[in-house]
Parts: sequence; structure tokens; C-alpha cells
Amino acid sequence: MTEPAASASGAVQPVVAAERVAHQVRRRDPVPVSAFVCIAVVGSIALSVMNGSYLGLQVTTGVGYAVVTVGMVLQLGYSRQLAFSQSVFMGVGAYGTAILETKYNFNSAESLLAVIALATVVSLLVGSVVTRAPGLALALATLLLPLFIYELATFSTYLGSFAGISGVLPFWNGATYEQELVRSGIVSVVLLGLATGLILRVMRSGIGLQLMAMAEDERLGESLGVSLRQRRLEVFVLGSVLAAVGGAILASAQGLVTPDVLSESAEITLLIMVFVPGRKSVTATIIGAIVIEYLTTSTSFISTNLSTIEGVVLILVLIVEPDGVAGAVARLLGRRTDRWAAGLRAAAAKARARGGGSRAGDAV
Amino acid sequence: MSEFLNLLAAGLTSGAIYGILGACLAVWFRVCNVLNLAVGDFAMLGAIGTAVLVQNDDIPFVAAIVVDLVAVGVVAWLFDRLVLHFAFDRRAGGHGIVSVFFYTFGLSLVIEGAARALFGTDVHSAPAIWSGPALTIADFHVQRAGILVIALAAVSGLALWAYLHFTVSGRAASACGESVLGSRIVGIDSALFRRRIFIMTAVLAALFGVVESPLTGFTYQSGPTISLIGVVAAGFAAFRRPGRAVVVGLVLGVAEAMLGGYVSTEYNDVLLYAILFVILIVQPEILGLSAVLA
Repeated sequence: MTEPAASASGAVQPVVAAERVAHQVRRRDPVPVSAFVCIAVVGSIALSVMNGSYLGLQVTTGVGYAVVTVGMVLQLGYSRQLAFSQSVFMGVGAYGTAILETKYNFNSAESLLAVIALATVVSLLVGSVVTRAPGLALALATLLLPLFIYELATFSTYLGSFAGISGVLPFWNGATYEQELVRSGIVSVVLLGLATGLILRVMRSGIGLQLMAMAEDERLGESLGVSLRQRRLEVFVLGSVLAAVGGAILASAQGLVTPDVLSESAEITLLIMVFVPGRKSVTATIIGAIVIEYLTTSTSFISTNLSTIEGVVLILVLIVEPDGVAGAVARLLGRRTDRWAAGLRAAAAKARARGGGSRAGDAV
Repeated sequence: MSEFLNLLAAGLTSGAIYGILGACLAVWFRVCNVLNLAVGDFAMLGAIGTAVLVQNDDIPFVAAIVVDLVAVGVVAWLFDRLVLHFAFDRRAGGHGIVSVFFYTFGLSLVIEGAARALFGTDVHSAPAIWSGPALTIADFHVQRAGILVIALAAVSGLALWAYLHFTVSGRAASACGESVLGSRIVGIDSALFRRRIFIMTAVLAALFGVVESPLTGFTYQSGPTISLIGVVAAGFAAFRRPGRAVVVGLVLGVAEAMLGGYVSTEYNDVLLYAILFVILIVQPEILGLSAVLA
């Protein structure tokens, strides 16, 4: 009699787990909105305190990279879509903004909207063919993109050749340079908040669960009824559009676009910004992008030995904790909570042994 | 006709560069399913290391080559013992896409940084192994170093192909890539093959760097660029066929030279990569990538 009972309880457990997961995927999820408000408020206050200093410029540039890395968390970390085209779309955003503002007299809001529309169309076109190729073929196809787009930008006089395009407008004009920097920085953190909210909403929705299933095993995802190609394309487009927005922020903050934004070193920087802080954590990649941008531009020792430091840190992170610094922190906190739980259990057991601990035991 | 032949010679020389690195990438991928993104950095170490030993330390050329190749072999051995051993044999660290790309990507960054600190930012060229003016037949000119590069690529491609297809050791190495567990069950030491072939391809890439550097010169930043082109050549050889990678590399080099000669000197790379991109997207099956993806 015990065996059927055990199997029945075993069958019930997955159902309960599934109900819990379904409960978590609610229609009204407060987390994305909270993340947006938190990033916008904290970021705006921090940039206002920096008051247009060089640190403010570094943070705003870091925010631009953070918008790109937030998209990469969904692509690389969550969906395990191995695409190396983020620097290309960063270039679409940066060059698109620069061309529209300097050659066609768009204002910054119009150029941002136009760049988002352009990146959506381009990523849909590119993604519809690129995402046909899974795994390594996708990686190889997207690896070819930066190679020839960089060459194109370097030799094209329309794109300013090696010198690039200068005179890109700030997002929000001000009386002084410092005021412009603070205001543009605030617009940038609002965009970062929106990007974060959007990515968190996707990750915490039913689509996020489908992406997770695909990432674990594509056949499993397909057998669950997930349209692999459609989901791959959606992830590619979302990641690419956010990369373009990040590129527009960089162009606006620096007032200049050069082919460096499209180069393989830009792609390497982005990968470091995702893998070292933790490719599955949105929070970690935002902090990581800003901190790495600050470190690489503020200390001569790090900027001189950047490659060595990046390489050693990357290898150490991959060996010790593949989920990056965020994974290490989570593991440490998990151990600490495990210890607390063990302490509570021990206390409850002692209380039960004294004869009055049923309530404490229930609580544990 | 002479223009065509000169372009062909230039194309074959640059194609040999892509081919040899593609072959190094393909043979190691075949053994352990990992892309060696540091292969170009090993070539850079070979070229710059030999140049510095000869020019700054007055070491005889042959001795400098030997010292440099041994040093590159030691770097490769250390990386295997300190990183790959933990990642693959002890199953520590990340796997999947992480293991395919990012361990050797980290190594590439470390070598690039170390080369900058050790050798500076100047362009370095090792002395020519076969020195003298370009060989000339009528209007057809070919550099002696170019002939050596093409010969090295052809010999390496043939040797690697023969090793994998006609030797027991080569077949055992291929078995490791098919299934690590299966190969271990039948008594093949997959870690040993991974280490041996990693060191062997690193030394081969360094030797290639020594031979090729009189033609183009190397800086500490040369590695990643040529590694990427090697990845493209290996990718078009299904990542597993070193002999085919050499052929693909030669074809890429000739196509690049012809586009540069007859279409546009500025946009030849753009056109070449665009054509490769289209081929990869439209007909990936032709390239044999389906075998890898399966």
C-alpha cells in the first residue's frame, strides 16, 4: 500500500510546483515597475549629485553600455542565444543618431524614435535570416557582421571614415555643458529603467518560461509547443533594439561617433561586462557595466593592463563561478541562509525536546 | 595575365595564413569541441618573440626560433594544466557555450596584454628564413616568405588530414570529440589528447608566425584579428576538417585578392565577408555545418 501512495505523492509534487510557477507568472507583476522607478530615481539623484563632472560623463557612458548588456542578459544569459552582433546594432544606434541629427536636422527625441524604428526593421530583416541558423552557425554568422560593418564604416566617407561624425546633440539641452550632461544622463537612466523593466517583464512572463525551456533543451521546448524560430527572432530583435538604444546614449553623451563603436574590441568589452558580473543577473550587469566603464577610463594602471586584467578575471570567474560575481554572491548568501535555517531547525528541535516547541518547529 | 597571376600569388599567400590558422582551430575542435580563439595570439608570440630575441638579445636566429617555440609550448601546457584541466577533467566552471568560446577568449586577452607589457606597441618582424629579393618570372613576382607560408600551409593541412585519417592516434583523438565518456570507456585518455593537440597547434601557429612575419609584421594586437579569420575558415570547413580548412583559407585569400584587384581595393574585405555571410545564411548545409549542429 505504501508504494502507490508514494507514487501518488510524487505525481502531486510536480503539479503543485507547476501551480506555484503559474502563480508566479502573474499578469500584474510589480517587480518590473519597481525596477524602473528605482533605477530612474536613484540614477537621477546620483547624476544630479555628480553635477556634470567627468564622473558623471563616465556614469552616463556606463549607462549606455548597461542598456546593451541588459539586452544581452536576455540573449546570452537567459536564452543562451550565442549572437555577436550587439556592437553592430550599437553602431546602428550611434551612427543613426549622428546622421539624422547632423545631416537631416532631427532633434534628439525624433532621432531616438527613428533609431528604434530603424533598429527594429534592420534586426527583423537580419534576424529573420540569421536566426535560421542555430548554435555555432548563428555565432559564426553574427561574427561575420562586425567584421564587414566595421570595414564599411572605416572606409565610408558618408560615415566620416576613421574620424567618425561629430556634433551629436545631447538628449536634453541646457544652459551649460554640465547642465546638459546631467539632463542627458537623467534621460539615459530613464531609458535604462525602461529597458530593465521590459527585460524583467519578459523574463518573468510565460514567454520567459518558454525561453528558459528552449535554453535548457530546444527539443524539450519544441515538444511543449514553443515556436523556436519565432522566439529566437523575438529575443534577437529585442536585444538588438536595446543595443541600438545603448549606442544612441553613447553618441549623445560623447557628442561623437567613431568606427570604434563597431569594432571587435567593443564586442569584447560588452562580453566582459556581461560575463564577469553575471550573465544571468540584470542587476549585476547594470552595476558591472558602469563599474567596468569607470575603472577602464579612470585609472591608468587598469587602462594600460586592461587586456591582462580582463582575461585573468574572465578565466577566474568562469572556473570558480560561471554565473559571475552575482552567482558567487548568491551562493554565499545561500550558504548563510542555509546556516540560519540549520540554526533555526536546531533551536526548534531543542524546543521540541523541552516539550514546548511545536510552534517553532511548524515555523521552520 | 601577369596581373591575374600576381593577384593569385598574393591571394594564395594571405589565404595560406587563414588556412593554417583554420586548420589549427579545426583539429583541436575535432578533439574537444572547443574553439581556440588564442591561435592568432600564439602566432603573434612566435613572430614577435623571435624578432625580439634576435634583434634585442642577439641570440642566433635558429636558437631564437627554438627558444620561442618552446616558450609557446610551455604557455599552452600551463594553460591546459591551470584552466582546461579544471574546466574539463574536474568538471569545474562553466560548460556549453562558455567552454566553446570563452576560456580561450580569456587566454587571448591575457596573451595580448602580456605581449603589450613585454614587447611594447611597435610593429615587429622576425628575420626572413629564406632571405633575398622576390622571385620573378617575366611580370610574375612572388615573395620568398610567401612561398614558405604556402608550403607550410599545404604541408600542415596534409599532415593533419593524414594524422586524423590514417593513424590510430588520430582516430583516437577524433573519438574524444565524438564522445568523451565513450572514448574513456575504451581506454582513450581524452585529457592527454586535448593537451597534446593544443600544444601542437599552438607551436604550429607560432612557427607560422615566424615564417609569415617578414611579409606583414606583427603587433601585440594582431592575434585576435587573424584568429577571427581563422574561425571563419574553420567554420566553412565544418569546424572539424583541417585539410578542408586549408583549402577554404586559400579560396578566401584568392577571392579577397581578386576582389581587391578587380572590384575595389577599399571594399574587398567588406564584399568578401558579405558574400560569406550570404552563403552561410542561404545554404549552411553545403558547408557541412549540419554535422556539427547535430
